[in-house]
Amino acid sequence: MKKSSIFGLVVIAIAIAIIISVYSKSSTYGSFNDARNTNDELQVVAHLDKQKPLYYDAVKDANYFSFYVKDNNGQECKVVFTGPKQQDFERSEQIVLTGAMKGNEFHASKILMKCPSKYKNDQVEITEVKAKQASI
Amino acid sequence: MDNPFKGEHLLPGHLGQFFTILAFGSALLSSISYYFAVKDEFDVSWKRLARISFYINTVSVIGIGTCLYYIILNHLFEYYYAFEHSSRALPIHFIISSFWDGQEGSFWLWTFWQAVIGNVLILRAKSWEKPVMAVVALSQAAIATMLIGVDIFGQRIGTSPFILFRDAIDLKGTIPIFANPAVYHNYLKYFPDGNGMNPLLQNYWMVIHPPTLFLGFASMVVPFAYAIAGLWQKRYTEWIKPAIPYTLFAMMVLGTGIIMGAFWAYESLSFGGFWAWDPVENASIIPWLILVGAMHVMIVYKNTGHSYFTATLMVLMSYVLVLYASFLTRSGILGDTSVHAFTDAGMFWHLVADVVIFFVLAVVLLVIRWKELPRTQKDEETYSREFWMFVGAVFLCLSCFHLVVVSSIPVWNAMFGTKIAPPTDPVKHYNIVQASFAVVVTLLTGFTQFLKYKKTAVTKFFITTVVYLVCAALVATLVVYVTGVAKLQFVFILIMVGAIYSILANGKVLIDALKGKYKLAGSAVAHIGFGLIMVGALISAGTSDIISINTTGEQYSDEFVKAKNNPRENIIMYKNTPIQMGKYTVTYVGDSISAPNHYFKVDYKVVDASGKVTEEFMLKPNAQANPKMGLISSPDTRHYLLSDLYTHVTYTNAMKPGEGTEAAGHDEADDDKNYEAPLTYDVAPGDTIRFRDGYMTLESIGKIDHLQDIQLQPTDLAIGANLHIVAHDKTYTAEPVYMIRNNNAFDFARKVDDAGLKLRFTKVLPQQKKVEITLYQQPESARKWIVMRAIKFPDINFLWSGTIIMVIGILLSIFRRNKELRSV
Repeated sequence: MKKSSIFGLVVIAIAIAIIISVYSKSSTYGSFNDARNTNDELQVVAHLDKQKPLYYDAVKDANYFSFYVKDNNGQECKVVFTGPKQQDFERSEQIVLTGAMKGNEFHASKILMKCPSKYKNDQVEITEVKAKQASI
Repeated sequence: MDNPFKGEHLLPGHLGQFFTILAFGSALLSSISYYFAVKDEFDVSWKRLARISFYINTVSVIGIGTCLYYIILNHLFEYYYAFEHSSRALPIHFIISSFWDGQEGSFWLWTFWQAVIGNVLILRAKSWEKPVMAVVALSQAAIATMLIGVDIFGQRIGTSPFILFRDAIDLKGTIPIFANPAVYHNYLKYFPDGNGMNPLLQNYWMVIHPPTLFLGFASMVVPFAYAIAGLWQKRYTEWIKPAIPYTLFAMMVLGTGIIMGAFWAYESLSFGGFWAWDPVENASIIPWLILVGAMHVMIVYKNTGHSYFTATLMVLMSYVLVLYASFLTRSGILGDTSVHAFTDAGMFWHLVADVVIFFVLAVVLLVIRWKELPRTQKDEETYSREFWMFVGAVFLCLSCFHLVVVSSIPVWNAMFGTKIAPPTDPVKHYNIVQASFAVVVTLLTGFTQFLKYKKTAVTKFFITTVVYLVCAALVATLVVYVTGVAKLQFVFILIMVGAIYSILANGKVLIDALKGKYKLAGSAVAHIGFGLIMVGALISAGTSDIISINTTGEQYSDEFVKAKNNPRENIIMYKNTPIQMGKYTVTYVGDSISAPNHYFKVDYKVVDASGKVTEEFMLKPNAQANPKMGLISSPDTRHYLLSDLYTHVTYTNAMKPGEGTEAAGHDEADDDKNYEAPLTYDVAPGDTIRFRDGYMTLESIGKIDHLQDIQLQPTDLAIGANLHIVAHDKTYTAEPVYMIRNNNAFDFARKVDDAGLKLRFTKVLPQQKKVEITLYQQPESARKWIVMRAIKFPDINFLWSGTIIMVIGILLSIFRRNKELRSV
């Protein structure tokens, strides 16, 4: 067998490994029900419940922000984020939360929110915050 | 023409619109004429027509730019683009950059650079001009379609920057008052100013980064066009040599553009780092990686005749990936996963078509010519430079493949109707996988230097390789322990070994080059630069240290803190209350406002054991209280040679919307509400009053002749209490005043805002020889505070200097390859 053919096979093997690893590591977007049934982090697409209070008091704790959201199944859950509140959080239309359930609270490590943009009248803008600094 | 709308300037728009159509038509004509010129070798007229069309295209593109600039500079807000991206208050350099704030403007940048490159090719490409320009002009026509914005069969093609406000927005439908035609015809009166630019983009990098990036993208069409021309004209072996300098150029410019983006993110956006693996960032690096691989294989082919197919395929794919990247960032498909992708401007299928056209063109040509492609019967030698360069290029492709697969998850979801979410911790995911490729690539850039083309003496090769590897491992061990990289995952330590190995091996080549083999210098310098980038990225990202960890004990609840993995990276700092962070004593000392920016003065001090201040500096992270977007925060960074200290404000109570126009004349009673309940103290001179943040001493009591508050009359009696106040190691003085006028007692309070105090001299007690001082303290919550995050990035300068070195290296290579072209 030619050396290049062997190399080709190795490359194909690595490519397949990449696809499998990506597929196995990536979850699907879930609901709070799914989150209750797993210990792993997962992503939930939800909407802010504007009736319920947002809590952020930097004087008490600059790293505690809590709010209530409803997921796409309409289930409501309290979310706790270990970081400061984002500006304009109240205006958000849709929120993608990454995190896990702890008791009855969803502890988010990352929040990605979509707001109706004030810069583009008919479009939306997106902001993301992470509780923790990105690290390797 | 009778225009019922008042105050509109329609001419620049009509002219601009005419130029967009002309640009499209002339590019298409040029492409077709070049096609027929290729068919007939001796023909001159087709070629002349093609050239003239391309010149017309260039002029139209410049015309579009001029019209758009005219509109933006003159604040003609009847054009939606100007309304959306500019405003009267914007300074001139941002007005220039508001040009490419939107999709249309960035397409214009692309088509402009491509026009410039086309003209360079007409001058320089000689026998390649006809087929190469046929492809470039086709690409030019494809981009022009993005800008024409004309309705065809009810479907709008592209999005023009010259669309009128009243056409872009349905005023009559959305705002009731415009139902009245008289009001509607005067609509401009209601929109006197534009939306302005997103404050995040109001940065000098916005002026320079997009043009660089788009020059990089635009120049990638040249190697693609050469590859197509080579297949088309069956000049299989010839196209690579003239294409190499252009490939190097594209690699250099795009690489610079990408790092500029990283630097921008690091310096002035609050990413907390220089690279976040956002799909938009990935979209820019995907074509670059494959281009770098392609360039190496092209050199392999030029020197040995091996790997023709790989070189061609990679060059072709690199441009298809540029178009794919543009689809990813512009179609709105990344909506759920990216922070800063464009939103869909109704061009989803248009962008898809663009990718498909060029992809199909490439594939069809490859299939037609498949049987004729030059192939070598013999395998490459194992101990040959070409074999390992080929391996390296393939690994770059794999790295690229991984980025494509993961960044495109929303695309797979759209195609297959699945609901896969991207990795929950994307940074970690990308870092680990990409690190594995980086290890292989850095090692290859090292030991391949010791191999020769065709065949190498095996023993000598192994000895040199091993000696250098051992040296690299030793140096890397030292670096890893000193910098703290050792505590990271093993793969990152391996990168360190690989990067240092690459630097050492290429350092040897560079030394040889300086002794006389000058032409090897370019690649050696570029590889050293790449190695330094890896070292800098690894140390600064891997060992960045958040020093603003909240250790104050002030927290929401104990239970909450006990939850594991709680990153307490944000700390609250009250004004003038120092906090120890690492070796720094950090104090928020004040604000300075220079509209629209609000700067927070944060003082950093290093105090040695004897209490002497050895170092002191001020950082001024700023924020804009933007009426449209709320608090927009930008960091400030202290640069040292070996590390950076990065500070940014995440939350504050010190800013008010519409600040700078402080309302005068506060009501006294209202003012007291800002303080806690007053405390009264009976004191004699020399006595001390303690309060929450310090103490004060009554130094003396004395008669006062002048008062700032009112004019004293001869019958008045005014006495002041001289108070010496110490709060947070700072001293202040205050002199509240007690006054008797016409048998009535008054007093004038004095405030010490920095200490959060208000002092009143409220009574004189002659029997006890004492006076009464009333003390108002601001509650903690009313005092100004900021929530900030401070991160130390060590050795990030390796990353920036590595980039500059790499660019110099590539530049040297361009000169060398150009010289080779001329010598033939």
